[in-house]
Amino acid sequence: MRLPSLLAVALLSAALLLLGASPASAHPMPHSVVLLDVHETSVTAELELPLSDFVRASGIEVTAATVAAQQDALRSYLIAYIRPATTGGAAWTVRVGDLSVTDAEQTSTGTYQELVASATLTPPAGGDLRHFIFRYDVVVHQVVTHTVLVSVRQDWAAGQVGSDAVQVGTIQIDSRTMTVPPLTVNLEHGSTWSGFLAMAELGGNHILAGTDHLLFLLILLLPAPLLATAGRWRGLIGPRAAAGRIGRTTLAFTIGHSAALALSAFTHLDVPAWPVESFIAVSILVGAIHAIRPIFPGREATVAGLFGLGHGLAFSFTLAEMQLSTGRLALSLLGFNLGIEIVQVVLVALALPALIVLTRSRIGPAFRLIGAALTGIAATGWLADRLGFPNPLARAADSAGAHPAPMLLALTVTSLAALAWTCLDRRRSSPGTAALLTTTWSR
Amino acid sequence: MKDEKTTRRPWRGVALVAAAVTLLGAGIATANAATVGNKGGDNKTRAVVVKDPTRGAKGINGLVNAADAFVATLTDDQKAEVLLDFTEDNATAWSNLPCGSSCRVGIQLSTLTDDQLTAAKAVLAAATGTGTGTGFDQISDVLAADDNLAAQGSSGGGGTPPSADASAPASDASAPAVDPSASAPTGTPPSGDPGAGGGGGGGYGSGIYFLAFLGTPSATGTWQLHFGGHHLAVNLTYKKGKVAGTTPFFIGVEPTSFIDDDGNTVQALAKQKDAISALVTSLTTTQLTKAKLTESFSDVLLGPDKDGQFPATKEGISVKALSAKQKKLVLDAIKPWVSVADDATTKQLLKIYESELDKTFISYAGTTALDTQGDYVRIDGPGVWIEFVCQNGVVYNNQIHFHTVYRDHTRDYGGEFSF
Repeated sequence: MRLPSLLAVALLSAALLLLGASPASAHPMPHSVVLLDVHETSVTAELELPLSDFVRASGIEVTAATVAAQQDALRSYLIAYIRPATTGGAAWTVRVGDLSVTDAEQTSTGTYQELVASATLTPPAGGDLRHFIFRYDVVVHQVVTHTVLVSVRQDWAAGQVGSDAVQVGTIQIDSRTMTVPPLTVNLEHGSTWSGFLAMAELGGNHILAGTDHLLFLLILLLPAPLLATAGRWRGLIGPRAAAGRIGRTTLAFTIGHSAALALSAFTHLDVPAWPVESFIAVSILVGAIHAIRPIFPGREATVAGLFGLGHGLAFSFTLAEMQLSTGRLALSLLGFNLGIEIVQVVLVALALPALIVLTRSRIGPAFRLIGAALTGIAATGWLADRLGFPNPLARAADSAGAHPAPMLLALTVTSLAALAWTCLDRRRSSPGTAALLTTTWSR
Repeated sequence: MKDEKTTRRPWRGVALVAAAVTLLGAGIATANAATVGNKGGDNKTRAVVVKDPTRGAKGINGLVNAADAFVATLTDDQKAEVLLDFTEDNATAWSNLPCGSSCRVGIQLSTLTDDQLTAAKAVLAAATGTGTGTGFDQISDVLAADDNLAAQGSSGGGGTPPSADASAPASDASAPAVDPSASAPTGTPPSGDPGAGGGGGGGYGSGIYFLAFLGTPSATGTWQLHFGGHHLAVNLTYKKGKVAGTTPFFIGVEPTSFIDDDGNTVQALAKQKDAISALVTSLTTTQLTKAKLTESFSDVLLGPDKDGQFPATKEGISVKALSAKQKKLVLDAIKPWVSVADDATTKQLLKIYESELDKTFISYAGTTALDTQGDYVRIDGPGVWIEFVCQNGVVYNNQIHFHTVYRDHTRDYGGEFSF
């Protein structure tokens, strides 16, 4: 796992988002974009074609209103100019799927309209998917000043599963000969192992960046060392019992979200996102209330398992977007879940000492109430946001998740401080002050 | 403040008189400092740049004097930005894009003091043509147009676009001394800092243009004057006291026409557009058919990073097949671009291009009206290569704007590099 680099990327993108993108090196004439997704037996290409040059090149006066009616003409034009071949020269088959016209903007271009098309490129039987000649001159065959940027967006076997596309080449006219040279695509060697690893990394990153999943677990664990009596959190349970409760809750959450993730991925369950996301916000809110006043004392594990189902559905959205074959899906599921589990266990282990010590300390109740209140507020913000009312609360909570490094650091420092404080406290009070210690433990 | 220098091209005579008065007047330094006041610290070195930086010398000697005078105003750090090696990497570091220093070398004009800026402009004025609407005058107008874009972007329109105070150049045959106060186009965007237009990567405004000397300016050695910014790249190469190359010269403009602070209409590329228009509209229907290209263009073919990529086959109609009158129009169409060089060089080059006319081809795409995206004209000879294209506006996106490039098959960068 390359967590440091992941963290750096996450931080950088967050900083860019916050600062707003500045106009970097620009091309005032919009260019075409071809995004390749490399699958197990085929490559899909998403084409983003600036409409003005497309119309000039194809002679098809397409608009958002007429795109449906002109599908046949558009498809036959595209197929004529997308002609991938094996390195030996054998033609691949090309099928053009969905077509639409949308608004777009590139750096310094202002907004313009583009035709978006998806094409499936399939090599002949036994053809090499990772090395091929990409003969492509859509638009460029006629508008000779047009440029096409070709990128690989997803390549599971090479471990490229994130959202950042990697540019593999540019297609443009060779003005000396006035011909369009084909682009030779040579993808680096791919393997099942690198795909699996990349999925684990994606899973780990997912739980780090998605504040809501972690927050749910932590808020459930917050009152774990406490004893509920008569509708209130009063006494304490022993550290061993507390650790057991934490372990059971974490395990139940894992089982819950793993089951839902697997089920939804394999059955290609098409659940809309907003109810699931809202359900997660509710789960956090319930957890926060429980941390203030016990509403399901002793049944934290069950609740974690049940709500975990919802969180698992949310994880499955990431996998669903990738459109993997069944074999790769199974491996992905395993890798993705493993990544989630590893990061989750690390985080819980980091938080555990702080949780136990702080809850038992003098400031314990204040810590628990403030923590629960803040979490409750964040959850309410998320809930409103996901029900269609965007608000600054949700934005603030999301941005906290975009900065996992300081969050982790704070957690570690708090835990270390808590441990140090306990040791110090024990040593200072050990000779003959057992009574004091007992008081501390039982507060 | 903007007193006598505000007269513009339409009244060239007035401009000349005003310039002469300025030259004679004792208070030119003060007037000039006030005109180019884009930097706070204008009180320190004001008295330094009063006399003619060319020291009365003509041609290359005058240019080298002006270059030396400019370098003398710089700190050591600034010198390191201006005085660069004449390498292929440095020479080809130009663009038509608003990409600021990320795609260019040289010192950014907005970082210069008033006196330094005046000295820099004097270098450009000494190196480029003295015509109205071409050469230095045209360069000033392109920078002014960029200030207009900056103002459009920062104020969202409404206010009067800031005008660069680009006066007519003060020299011609009868007044050889180039007035160093030939004012700098430094109209400040309303929000303040020129150069602040576009954040880190670049942006618009006359402050975001860059000047460098590649190699040491001298009347004997090989060196290049390298100046440019958005829509402009000037590459003048000198070898043994002569101009060895006036190209690549990229010049474009948006908006193609605007009214400056003083109510004058500025059409920076009018000379080029009118000359090209006169040429293509002179063609008969039969000639047009021959001249028509099968391809379409939404930009010039040989822009930045396309050095040496001339098509092996010349397309269109041979100038040989045209009438004498039309041949004259071809030469007239070439002239505004060649005029980027000093007047003597321009004359020599035009003679060469004239002798090559029979081996020159002209072609076009789109329409000959030069008012629609994709309208495109090319002149391709053994030496000369000129492209003129209309493309949709980027800031004023309901208008078109112009991109043009002038190259030479053998003289780009003085023939110093093989691509």
